[in-house]
Amino acid sequence: MIQKKICMVGVYGTGKTSLVQRYVQSIFSAKYHSTVGVKVDRKEVNLGATTVTLLLWDVEGRTADHEIPTSYLRGAHAMFFVADGTRRETVDALFDLREHARAAAGDVPSIVALNKNDLQDQWRIGPSDTSKLITAGVHVVRTSAKTGEGVEDSFRWLANATLGEPASPTDQSQVRHAR
Amino acid sequence: MLAEARAPTRVDIAGLSNVGKVRSANEDHFAVMAMRKAVELRATNLQELTLLDRVRRPEVHLLVVADGVGGASGGKLASGVAVRAVVEYVAEAIGCVQDFDVDHEQAFLDQLSRAVERGHERLKEMFQTQGGPATTLTMVTLVWPRAYVVHVGDSRGYYLRQGVLRQFTRDQTMGDYLVDIGAVTEQHAQKAGLYNVLSSAVGGDLVPTVGVVDLSDGDALLLCTDGLTKHVKDDRIAAILSSGSAEAATQSLIDAALAGGGTDNVTVIVAKAGD
Repeated sequence: MIQKKICMVGVYGTGKTSLVQRYVQSIFSAKYHSTVGVKVDRKEVNLGATTVTLLLWDVEGRTADHEIPTSYLRGAHAMFFVADGTRRETVDALFDLREHARAAAGDVPSIVALNKNDLQDQWRIGPSDTSKLITAGVHVVRTSAKTGEGVEDSFRWLANATLGEPASPTDQSQVRHAR
Repeated sequence: MLAEARAPTRVDIAGLSNVGKVRSANEDHFAVMAMRKAVELRATNLQELTLLDRVRRPEVHLLVVADGVGGASGGKLASGVAVRAVVEYVAEAIGCVQDFDVDHEQAFLDQLSRAVERGHERLKEMFQTQGGPATTLTMVTLVWPRAYVVHVGDSRGYYLRQGVLRQFTRDQTMGDYLVDIGAVTEQHAQKAGLYNVLSSAVGGDLVPTVGVVDLSDGDALLLCTDGLTKHVKDDRIAAILSSGSAEAATQSLIDAALAGGGTDNVTVIVAKAGD
């Protein structure tokens, strides 16, 4: 059986837990609970003839006085970075978080989810921000844990990437820039 | 991954349970177990003893609390059966802590979940009717510095670090679930008594959550049944955990719960780490 450890990484309150909950249980909770430590979920995903069990490590988010412990990230096969599209600082933090994760787990496949895409009237991310991320070589998607938009595809993309399947970081056709 | 697993820090652990001031029977059970596979170098003339680092095996502590539901005799039976089944299963399966790569760590987590399922199956075998006795179960397996958590129901796990108390379990009650998905308001859930109904229980509808918490020297870990938290506020718990031995802390926590009313059985396990 193929198992892949995927770490959910981001600033607190970006929706990491909600994305996992949507993906694994198909539910959405509007009530915010901060994660303490790591919550571990699993989900099987069929990729053609291959079944992969994703071990989803929902890691507590970074706060002003709490860095994400690298011990949680070690051994990860992929990183699922999450930013809140309505909080610009959570996108800015991604660059540093990527370095933090790289130091712990090496160069593993990664994806960036700009989450809360259902809140378009509060969106704070412009095309130049997205371009910066793409230029940095990451695959960027817009997601909404509330509506489910982009969630399944994001995890599938990352699962494929852990198998070394071709996954062009420049194929960003699904990233629509803010209007 | 436990690549950073190091010489075990001394862990001081104690557990205590009390029937409380109102109930006639104690439906809580708990267990604290230490497991080790020792490698002892009896004699050598080797100059270089770093081989000891490679063969040293970690000490593993199992901490489990359970709060039975289903009437005094049924609840007591349920929590006892579940704790016994978990202890037996972990004792049998403990060989898997010998390996510390990621795949084996997941296997270890799977074994811990399986231990809880064993307790669930035992209860189901004993009581084949729907709505039979059930129990909460909160279990920490401590392979320093990592705490592996399997949690069912509304008993709780906390850790204290530098004076800050953090709850690492989330209550599994119908109130929490329905409020989470937006089906009812907190006020409605409170009024309807939904916070007193478990949405997940060993022997009932079992939906265990699995987690990991990495601890540091100086941290204190607490597992408790709700007989503590319904009477003792977080800041008081933090103050008690901040000083003294684990044994002293367990007694003080029980005393505080009794002083606060003692309306329920109360069980606590405290682990304090330090060199």
